[in-house]
Amino acid sequence: MNFFKSGLQSVLGTSENQETMTGAETVERLVDRVQSSTMLEDRRDACRALKALSKKYRVEVGAQAMYALTQVIENDRTDNEIVGYCLDALCNIVSPDQFEEESENPHISVNIGEQFTEMFIKHPDHISLILSHLEEYDFRVRWSAIKLLTCLLANRTKEIQEVVLVSPMAISRLMDLLVDSREIIRNDSLLLLIQLTKGNANIQKIVAFENAFDKLFDVINEEGCADGGIVVEDCLILMLNLLKNNSSNQQFFKEGSYIQRLSPMLILTEEAEEVGMTPQKVSNIHCMLQIIRVLVSPNNSQQSIAACQKIMRSCGLLETLCRMLMSSGIPPDILTELINSTAEIIRGDGNNQEYFNQVLAPSNPPKPAIVILLMSMVNEKQPLVLRCAVLYCFQCYLYRNEVGQNDLIHTLLPSTKEVPATLTSGQLLCGGLFSMDAISNWFSAVSLSHALIENQNQKEQLLRSLVATSSSSQPTSLLQQCFNLLQQGQFKYQSKIGILMFLIIWLSKCEMAVRSFLSINGTISFLIAQITANEHDENEYLIQGLCAFLMGICIQFNDNGVEGNRRDDLCQLLIKRIGIETFSGKLNEVSKHESYSKAGKQPQIRIKSPADLLLDYEFCKLFKSLEPTVSKLITSFTNGNESVNELTISQEASSLVAQYKNIIREQDHKIQTLNEQVKQLHLQNESISSKLTETQTSMSQINDQNILLRAQLTAASSSGVQNQHSNMNGFYDQHATKIHELEQQVASLSHEKSHNETKIQFYEAENARLLTEIDQFGATKENESTNEKLRCEINELNSKVEQMSKDQEDLLELLADQDLKIKEYRKRLKNLGQQVEGDDDEDD
Amino acid sequence: MSYAYLFKYIIIGDTGVGKSCLLLQFTDKRFQPVHDLTIGVEFGARMITIDGKQIKLQIWDTAGQEAFRSITRSYYRGAAGALLVYDITRRETFNHLTTWLEDARQHSNSNMVIMLIGNKSDLESRREVKKEEGEAFAREHGLVFMETSARTAANVEEAFINTAKEIYEKIQEGVFDINNEANGIKIGTVSTPTNPSIGSNLPGGQSSNSCC
Ligand SMILES: Nc1nc2c(ncn2[C@@H]2O[C@H](COP(=O)(O)OP(=O)(O)O)[C@@H](O)[C@H]2O)c(=O)[nH]1
Ligand SMILES: [Mg+2]
Repeated sequence: MNFFKSGLQSVLGTSENQETMTGAETVERLVDRVQSSTMLEDRRDACRALKALSKKYRVEVGAQAMYALTQVIENDRTDNEIVGYCLDALCNIVSPDQFEEESENPHISVNIGEQFTEMFIKHPDHISLILSHLEEYDFRVRWSAIKLLTCLLANRTKEIQEVVLVSPMAISRLMDLLVDSREIIRNDSLLLLIQLTKGNANIQKIVAFENAFDKLFDVINEEGCADGGIVVEDCLILMLNLLKNNSSNQQFFKEGSYIQRLSPMLILTEEAEEVGMTPQKVSNIHCMLQIIRVLVSPNNSQQSIAACQKIMRSCGLLETLCRMLMSSGIPPDILTELINSTAEIIRGDGNNQEYFNQVLAPSNPPKPAIVILLMSMVNEKQPLVLRCAVLYCFQCYLYRNEVGQNDLIHTLLPSTKEVPATLTSGQLLCGGLFSMDAISNWFSAVSLSHALIENQNQKEQLLRSLVATSSSSQPTSLLQQCFNLLQQGQFKYQSKIGILMFLIIWLSKCEMAVRSFLSINGTISFLIAQITANEHDENEYLIQGLCAFLMGICIQFNDNGVEGNRRDDLCQLLIKRIGIETFSGKLNEVSKHESYSKAGKQPQIRIKSPADLLLDYEFCKLFKSLEPTVSKLITSFTNGNESVNELTISQEASSLVAQYKNIIREQDHKIQTLNEQVKQLHLQNESISSKLTETQTSMSQINDQNILLRAQLTAASSSGVQNQHSNMNGFYDQHATKIHELEQQVASLSHEKSHNETKIQFYEAENARLLTEIDQFGATKENESTNEKLRCEINELNSKVEQMSKDQEDLLELLADQDLKIKEYRKRLKNLGQQVEGDDDEDD
Repeated sequence: MSYAYLFKYIIIGDTGVGKSCLLLQFTDKRFQPVHDLTIGVEFGARMITIDGKQIKLQIWDTAGQEAFRSITRSYYRGAAGALLVYDITRRETFNHLTTWLEDARQHSNSNMVIMLIGNKSDLESRREVKKEEGEAFAREHGLVFMETSARTAANVEEAFINTAKEIYEKIQEGVFDINNEANGIKIGTVSTPTNPSIGSNLPGGQSSNSCC
């Protein structure tokens, strides 16, 4: 303090009277000198003095000297010393920090630096001026300009960013600072860039374009990577800024093979494992893990996640992380982030999930990493964040992983094989489900539910699972046991919520599971009792909502297989015992609950205290997709459509599809029988045709014989048998007429036949068309009108077939008639003494 | 993924001329008719081969809006190549070429290779700018010219590759200072086949004889 005073005195050449007076006065006099003195020396001294006063008399210097200082920076730019003083003085004025020197000043307001910043940047030129001084190599100027910009940015980030963005070379210059050989410049410019890149995608892009990642990795390497100091951490924080919510830069990072550069930095030496980590190393590794997570965050596009996940496996990063995960002496903060990172690297990637499944912990005997992790999850003594991370990791392992889901459920099924030597995941989770620790109950229930998501087969398989809670008790089904747990009075609300979510996921879209659940004594009355209970606590409301949803699921996916709990029965119960409005109100409790919106935001569980552990992301997703269906189902009762038939028709997709399937099956069957009939008609037709040909042949034979007879008759008459002749003549005339008639009949018969054939052709064509239509119908499944039309057509066709069969019968009768007549004629001819050729045997 | 050289490109031109589509067609070989302005990834990379050498192209798609012109300027200095794009069905995009070119010349290093591109050549029926006009403009300003279609992929490969060839030739001629990364060129880590190290020609185990 004395130094400053004496310094001031020497500059001003006067002694101070009163402190308060001197502050403002001194500054005024100094400003006057800065502006009026023609001697550089003088101006320099005055600026030095202003700098010295700028902490204690910040208000005075800021108010009176800002303009003068800026002028000097502009006009005296060739003198580095004076520019340095001015930049420093300005830096003090706008600093967001409070100085020790001003702590006793009651007039100083907290945001004084911010106010001066605002004044200073009213002229955008001022910022350009500061930016231009970054080019000055002189240490004092460059360093002071960096610090001033950093202060300005801290106070008014957005405004400064806008100015920097439109100054073409500004970012370029700032990036050059990163390769300044003077460490302090490099380090402080890192801090400046961290401020500058916050939340501005355009700046982030340009910084990346200016080779930021290369430069930063160079610095990190120089500084000793993960073992390096705070500069390494700053570099990593800047990288994180560049990548967060910036898909372009993420793509650039991936394409530039920077994942491959980051990966080896996470390899821990054995020595490090033994000695443990310094707090700085913990911070560095923490930042690296965050960078990894930004690249595979579930919020990114699926395409970009998948590409990064693949690289992370192939470059050995996943392996490195898994090894670190299983090594000893990893500090808890890192362990949690490590588990979360691993989770997101494997999420939804079959190969990575399979790799993770194979990881073994170096225990004796080696245990699967998954088992080790689940052991921590169901262990009350482990920190909550760690347990949450394990759950997340396990969920990510099961996500879209049918094989993993099947494996897990398999460990819960009764097997003929011997009990495995080590504990299985399934056993651990069952243990957690039935433990006294509510958090373990919740974690286990949610874990199990994730093995059933989108996995119809395992929902049915798990119904076979038997559990014995104590060695003495008889094994009961897991489903029954879950219901027992729900009924226990001392069971905490969190455990109930967990079990209810598990049951809902299990029963949803699985009629078999619903049937099993409804077969358990008292399930529905329990749900009704819960829904109608008079509760006052928010979490109890949530439980009621879940119970209502579960009941809705039991109605929705009911196959009417349980006597007394058919869809109709449950609807009646709902209307009479709960009331539709109450039910809807309770159902709404779920989505109204705070945790619904929180949990639904991202797959990872983000909670502050154990009490926040309520709803799960995947459950929220399911609720969101099924709740409208259940709601619609319930409101359909209100509309007076209480009849179950109506209800059935108004059902959503699943039942509709089943309905249509039935119709299609019926129609298939009909088509088959029709085809059969067509075949038979064909056969009949053929036989009729052959008979017709036969008849025609015999007719022509008869004709020939007739001609012969006539000729013989003429011969006879000429031999003088006149009487007989006239008789015979009359007979013959008659005969000829008859034959003529017969011929006509045959003609009409063949006409009939060809007509019949056309009909059959038409029928076949119709049939083919029908088949294609059915095909189309099968594809759309929802076209009821087509269906209706088809049914009509089938009816029509049926009647046509009937008609045709009748025609056919008539024809056959006619043929038989014809046959008879022909026979008669033959007989008569015989009687007339004629030798009839052909069907002799018949007549004998 | 090793390369002999890395070239940085920028794509500039008015909004809507098809810059993002050209990039997507070149890197992903697909066309996306409705491009989402808000979430578009504005960076792409691809490996190409020139003269038997692997060359990695890093392509930065810029915002074309007039309002962001000043932002675009930040990209010029660090780029080795620029694709200046107009839309053959919108004359005004052709008319704006002069200002784009002035901007580019003013802020880039003088060796930056600029390729003029008339995009949407598939929309012949709606053409407003004749091919000859594009050719004349290019000749007048010393640019390479090409008409492309991001939709049919016609000439898209050629546009990017020919630009790279120009840059490559300039390197061979010694015009580019390849050691200054600010020029948008980076030498890869692998030694190129044309520069076999002397040591590899010596019989093994005789390094003690080397004079260096
Ligand atoms: N027909 C046709 N349309 C194109 C072509 N290239 C781009 N477009 C369309 O032009 C519009 C603008 O393209 P976009 O790439 O977003 O332009 P940008 O603003 O320059 O990035 C989009 O609707 C594209 O579908 C092309 O070669 N042919
Ligand atoms: Mg675009």
